[in-house]
Amino acid sequence: MRALRQALLILLAALVPAGLTAAFHPRRAAWTQDKLLPGEVELQTVLAWGSDVLWVDARSLKDYEAEHVPGAILLNLEDWEQLFPRFVDQWRPEQKVVVYCSSTSCELSHEVAERLKANGIAPVFVLKGGWEAWKNRK
Amino acid sequence: MEEQKVIPASRGTRWPNIAKLGCVLVRVTVGALFVFAGATKAYDPGAFAIEIQRYQLVPWIVAALISVYLPWLEMLTGALLLLKRFERGALLLTTLLLLIFTLALASAMFRGLSIDCGCFGKAFTATGTTVPLLRNLLLLVFTGILWMEPR
Repeated sequence: MRALRQALLILLAALVPAGLTAAFHPRRAAWTQDKLLPGEVELQTVLAWGSDVLWVDARSLKDYEAEHVPGAILLNLEDWEQLFPRFVDQWRPEQKVVVYCSSTSCELSHEVAERLKANGIAPVFVLKGGWEAWKNRK
Repeated sequence: MEEQKVIPASRGTRWPNIAKLGCVLVRVTVGALFVFAGATKAYDPGAFAIEIQRYQLVPWIVAALISVYLPWLEMLTGALLLLKRFERGALLLTTLLLLIFTLALASAMFRGLSIDCGCFGKAFTATGTTVPLLRNLLLLVFTGILWMEPR
């Protein structure tokens, strides 16, 4: 009984700093979240993964050459046969692959992600919001 | 004739010094790990909420609430274990938390989720689930030892 009573007091005591965290912590999570489609990740999540991420740019060569996520590899459906071997050279098994296209409305990243999975690449994710999300990051 | 009084040996004297030292080491290990684990998560609750969400066990709002509460609970229980204050309560919570963490990890493994443990915030990433699961089982053995420690 003593253990239970003490445990209850500890549980209550932890509410105080937790409440302050909820009210004032600059990095606390938002209370609501936009729904993610299957396989999608938020930019914040990818950034939290650190550097062990292989970015894949599913846009056109022209867009890629204009601007891209640092270190990203170009891999689109148009030039798949030519670009996929280059991707494989850079990819390490177990490395997280994050595919992006121009914005939320584009489907290319999902298509490239599916094709990567069909070729035995895993884990593969799609960046929610695509290049726009990257450009607008804080 | 006066009856000789038999004084039972106290548990303290029967408990060998080496076992006492072992208990201190176990206590410091469990307590310090909990304080460290809590501190790394408390630094970035947002990232911790995402780690919780990857387990696909609770809705986002619950993950967000856990992310602000659990780190402090871990730090508090770890600190109380180290300080030997509210000891039984802290030990009860440590054991329960370890059981919950172990079940969550086992369920992620069983469902084939490719996730990191998230046990230490961003301090250790790419840990998978197998090593943390084994570590938790070892920590559960440690808490068992602390339950048996004479007081």
